[in-house]
Amino acid sequence: MENLSTFSIGGVHPDDRKISRDCPIEVLPLPDKVFVSMAQHLGAPAKPLVVPGDTVKVGQLIAEPGGFISACVHSPVSGTVKSVGLREDLAGNKVTHIEIVVEGDKWEESIDRTPDLVTELPEDKAWILDRIKQNGVVGLGGATFPTHVKLAPPPGKTADFLLINGAECEPYLTSDYRVMMERGAEVLVGAALMQKALDGPRCIIGIEENKPEAIDHLSELLSGLADRNPAYRHIEIRPLKKKYPQGGEKQLIDALTGRQVKSMGLPIDVGAVVQNIGTTLAVYEAVQKNKPLITNVLTVTGDCLPVERQHNYLFRIGVPLSFIMEQAGGVPEGAEKIISGGPMMGKAVARVDATTVKGSSAILYLTGEQTLRRPEGPCIRCGRCADACPMGLEPFLLKKLAEAGDFTALEKNAVHDCIECGCCQYSCPANLSLLDTIRIAKGDMLRIIKSRPKN
Amino acid sequence: MAFVVSPSPHIHAPASTASIMRDVLIALAPATLVSLVFYGWAELLLVAVCICACMLTEWAIERFLQHSPSTIGDCSAAVTGLLLALNLPSSCPWWVAVIGSIFAIGVVKMTFGGLGQNVFNPAIAARVFLLVSFPSIMTDWSAPASISSAWGFSQVDAVSGATPLGVVSEGLRSGMTLDEIFAAHSFSYKEMLFARVGGSAGELSALALLVGFVYLLARKVIKATTTLSIWATIIGISMVFSFINPSSYTDPLFNMLTGGVLLGSIFMATDYVTSPMSNTGCVIYGFGIGLQTMLIRYFGAYPEGMSFAILLMNAFVPLINRFCHQPKFGRAK
Repeated sequence: MENLSTFSIGGVHPDDRKISRDCPIEVLPLPDKVFVSMAQHLGAPAKPLVVPGDTVKVGQLIAEPGGFISACVHSPVSGTVKSVGLREDLAGNKVTHIEIVVEGDKWEESIDRTPDLVTELPEDKAWILDRIKQNGVVGLGGATFPTHVKLAPPPGKTADFLLINGAECEPYLTSDYRVMMERGAEVLVGAALMQKALDGPRCIIGIEENKPEAIDHLSELLSGLADRNPAYRHIEIRPLKKKYPQGGEKQLIDALTGRQVKSMGLPIDVGAVVQNIGTTLAVYEAVQKNKPLITNVLTVTGDCLPVERQHNYLFRIGVPLSFIMEQAGGVPEGAEKIISGGPMMGKAVARVDATTVKGSSAILYLTGEQTLRRPEGPCIRCGRCADACPMGLEPFLLKKLAEAGDFTALEKNAVHDCIECGCCQYSCPANLSLLDTIRIAKGDMLRIIKSRPKN
Repeated sequence: MAFVVSPSPHIHAPASTASIMRDVLIALAPATLVSLVFYGWAELLLVAVCICACMLTEWAIERFLQHSPSTIGDCSAAVTGLLLALNLPSSCPWWVAVIGSIFAIGVVKMTFGGLGQNVFNPAIAARVFLLVSFPSIMTDWSAPASISSAWGFSQVDAVSGATPLGVVSEGLRSGMTLDEIFAAHSFSYKEMLFARVGGSAGELSALALLVGFVYLLARKVIKATTTLSIWATIIGISMVFSFINPSSYTDPLFNMLTGGVLLGSIFMATDYVTSPMSNTGCVIYGFGIGLQTMLIRYFGAYPEGMSFAILLMNAFVPLINRFCHQPKFGRAK
């Protein structure tokens, strides 16, 4: 076995469970109505531009950015706006949604809906960035940070590396894998477009070794593209050792470049910009096809879900989760917890009629046995949490300090560096709720740090 | 339909406190088996008495004094019991074993708050407690002369075995050189590696202990840091001293294979609760144990020293933890 690179500190090896890996991407049928959230990106919520009674087309701008770090939102369907108002998201928080009743499937004429691959890259980088911004592209790897902001480094900072995250290190998830297998060429063009927007840094696509087909497939496509167009000769595909959380931004940068982002620092501080596979496809569609981010791929999976009911769906963003679940045959027997996303970092679904957002990546059914928490025991000081922490923190200590409310010591022990990957709680043999406690302390710590007067 | 809602992570690794403790028991199985084969009924009684007394003490304290749910299901009391049994001479009377067990669990573990809170390793502390309280019983290394006599198949006869370290320390005090001592008593390294009479029940066979070590490493129950640090220190110090004066200072291999170094370094010093959390801390801790063991052996009154060294270093663990931390991400460069 060749010596594959990975991140240097911590990490865990949960079982892969990529059950739906061979399910091709299917187009999800249109529902009767959709609910488009105004808070599906990091930063300020978007401001609705439509009122009840308006008719909209697929891809029409229906909300504008609410601040510098914010994003445009487009209608995923054609039809009539029924209401604009507060509605609960999957966690039960009230968020402004635009409700649209679906009528037909009429698209904006400006969108190129042909399947032809456009490999010619536009020359003007400002034009590329503008297209990405106008089409509402945000990071689909989890944080949903507006992509155009990430691709425009602040003055004085340049990107040496553009890293494409094909790790898909969360168990069960297969949407990125399917995109690499079925939309691989488009992903590569998307990568080249972002490379251009960033003035030509080295581009590395990192893929974990458990997806050898994707590594081979993309390598083949890449050599084909590079033969015909020199613009594709500076993209590299790098296999990575399988380890969670490889797809964490800081971990991926460490794994692919050996550079470590400092505490409270940003990737661009070490000259890196990280984009996920889904985002890269969205960039391709936005720039080459002028298609806004209104569709994404989502995995429906779980051990209790029969194999023939596992799916990878191309869905319109704004379709209720319950509609997708019905299409996949309803809630399977034995499912006691529904996760939006992966089992390590996904969110438990409290409201099944909540809507999908740009960052939705999976509906995962877990059985009670898989997910119910065992009773907490005393800490046996085995140090497994500290060994598992990819940030080199000491979760056992942070939990104690958090319970004592000692924020001076919490800051010294870098509670604010926690990336909430869940490795500590996953590994703890005493079943301690480490991350639950640390997450709250981290939030308080960050508020304390931000409230300090700046010198 | 209502679904479970809780924060991430939503899955958990299979390991639990009980599964880790069970792994330690499995790792101790080879050494236990060897001691049972050679020491027979007496050893079986000791193992049973220690395990039962430890579990019973924990249960009784939780039931009658703390009024809290019993924790004997986590198997940690059983581990303490087995380790204590393996740290006693096979000739030890059962009532001494009971006193040791009650001390280990009742005083060393439960008074500090139970599992995870004790400062000292309960089995080691109990062994030292018994050694100071019953010196003659604890250094009576007489043992069955043969396997068949150990199990009562032939006439019961015993040899008054002595530990190699005891013989050496005695001999040196009477003015003999090491060569003369070794010539008078036929110690062979081969015997020490496979099965040797004379010593605590658990250290009969170095090989059986090493098998347990490999199992613990393979199951990722312990990291090798502490153990290797102890070994390196003991080998290093004895190499220097035996090179300078081979007639008064024993050599590295002899020191590694005698006096509970393997049992202590593999199973007692690596106890999670009483060893440091960080790798750097484990190196320092291991060095301290090795250094003190060799100081006691070469210059002290007791012939072996491992238990005292571990106990003393246990006391330094909170201090070591205060100053040694794992390297944090993004701070090294």
